[in-house]
Amino acid sequence: MTTNLTDRVTGVFLLLFAIWYGYRTTLFKVSFMADPVGPRVFPLGLAILMGVLSLYLIIKPDPSPVWPGSKTWIRIGLITLTFIVYAYLMVPIGFVLSTTFEITALALIFRGPPLKSIIGAFLLSAALYSLFDILLDLSLPTGSVFRGLWG
Amino acid sequence: MEILNFLFEGFAIALTPFNIAMALAGCFIGTAVGMLPGIGPVNGIVVLIPLTFALGLPPESSIIMFAGIYYGSQYGNSISAILLNVPGTSAAVMTAMEGNAMTKKGRAGPALAMSAIASFFGGTVSIVALMLFAPALSKWAIRFGPAEYFALMVFAFSTLSSLSGKNLIKGLLATMMGLMLATVGLDPVSAVDRYTFGQLKLLDGLDFVVVVIGFFAINEILRYAENIHDQEVFTKLGRVMITAKEFAMSFWTMVRGAAIGFFVGVLPGAGGTIASFVAWTTEQRLVDRQGTFGTGDIRGVAAPEAANNASANGAMIPLLTLGVPGSETTAVMLGALLGMNITPGPLFIANNPTVFWGLIASMYVGNVLLLILNLPLVGIFVRILKVPGWFLMPAVVAVSFVAVYSVNNSPFDILLMAAFGIMGYLLYKTEFPLASVILGLVLGPLMENNLRRAMSLSDGDWTYLFSSPIAIGLWIAAIASLFLPLIIKRFGAASEISKEEVN
Repeated sequence: MTTNLTDRVTGVFLLLFAIWYGYRTTLFKVSFMADPVGPRVFPLGLAILMGVLSLYLIIKPDPSPVWPGSKTWIRIGLITLTFIVYAYLMVPIGFVLSTTFEITALALIFRGPPLKSIIGAFLLSAALYSLFDILLDLSLPTGSVFRGLWG
Repeated sequence: MEILNFLFEGFAIALTPFNIAMALAGCFIGTAVGMLPGIGPVNGIVVLIPLTFALGLPPESSIIMFAGIYYGSQYGNSISAILLNVPGTSAAVMTAMEGNAMTKKGRAGPALAMSAIASFFGGTVSIVALMLFAPALSKWAIRFGPAEYFALMVFAFSTLSSLSGKNLIKGLLATMMGLMLATVGLDPVSAVDRYTFGQLKLLDGLDFVVVVIGFFAINEILRYAENIHDQEVFTKLGRVMITAKEFAMSFWTMVRGAAIGFFVGVLPGAGGTIASFVAWTTEQRLVDRQGTFGTGDIRGVAAPEAANNASANGAMIPLLTLGVPGSETTAVMLGALLGMNITPGPLFIANNPTVFWGLIASMYVGNVLLLILNLPLVGIFVRILKVPGWFLMPAVVAVSFVAVYSVNNSPFDILLMAAFGIMGYLLYKTEFPLASVILGLVLGPLMENNLRRAMSLSDGDWTYLFSSPIAIGLWIAAIASLFLPLIIKRFGAASEISKEEVN
């Protein structure tokens, strides 16, 4: 019974999503029609097609995939958490420092040796910063907290 | 000879020191990303797109590099296939089976050499075909109006959906997801904002660089978290060369492989994986008298390698002449070209002769460079395979951050990238083909635009979409392509049976 539950759940989710996506088209504030079709028809068509296809998925699901165990989900959660922290840290503390933290954290999650991970992370971050910001002029964040200290 | 004149002008562009350097960079990156399992040409190209924009590189130089990554990856993917039995990209599955069997017999050197030579052969022959067919197809496609384009895109989506995944319905659903993602942002015709939820950052729509990096690079990191591992790398290559006899024996195999690869590559959705499979199966039926295919027959390396390189060049045809790519890599290249205000399509070659002929000439140059990189220098690339996963995977993340951040200089995009990474992982686990989502995302605006232009021309009459012979032909082809999986299943079942008979 549970062997094709994944597709059924996905199908129900996509069906609900399609209904919501289609319903949103009625909320568009269309003041004038620049063309005979307008901005609603294309998304509405997509919603209807997706709805029909997701019904098919609910009726004829594939066997469920092998989902990873809790260890993997914890790792995936940790990795995602580092991304979120990174997004908030990179402007204040700058690219080199935040990326060093990020790579070290990921390397440790992937069972890298601690000291090598930190050294490798720092060298790579510094190399990327030199290459893209200094050499290629791409402007990566220097770090606003250091602004008082130099330049 | 008009073509030769154009080609000379092309070489004048391709042989400038800067463009040679771009081709070399593309070939080098291509070999590396092609070789590393889990990282493919899509990652290599998409990470460099914001960089080429920021540096203001001329379009011909950018496309020379991107194409180099694409065909270079078809060389690189066989290295890990032969040495590790892990195909660098799925196009090297057949090479992995045959080439790794040779490695186990102590013939890794000849396998690598054959793969490089067959790749060169398939690559070079198919550039000639690309050069001859693309201008002709452009002249024909000039008659395409919005109705034909709309039908062509439906055809591309249905073929990709039926060929790229196991389940057609999931392929079509994935296409819908991509098209839906494409509707986020201001509607260009009526300036109505759609699905932005008041987020100013979404008014311009989702940047496809952010979505693609999330889908491919971040998804790959999460997959690595499932199974943290390092590969034992086999480094005793021996002499990387083949004998004249082996070359002569494989010559017609390479010719047929190149021809099959090119035509399969032109088809939307088919690509290198199917090309190499068809080429290998064809050769097995034609030349395998002693039943040595699958046990380390050098022709079994030559066939798929000639085919997957030819298919990469074949896939450039629909991209350049119709503006409708048939694979995830060419879809990403379309996104890059559109970003540089170059619209591939029937007028592309006429309007941008420097870009087209410069690209063609650079592909000849690039294949020679790749032959050098892959024969005497293959030992250097093998060392990249020794970088441990705990460092390589985070390094991919760091490079992705640079690329994503430099799109808009906004950390918000890092969060979006992470969200799309998780979505990509879930789609991968549930077997929704990511290629269909990407193609939908890139082609979505063009598709809606063509639909609305067609309706404006016909004043809202929907039968206009089926009003020309070309359009009707494409609609029929689109519906017919939905039955391809059934035919392939039968073909596959037949080859299973023949295998059992051999055993």
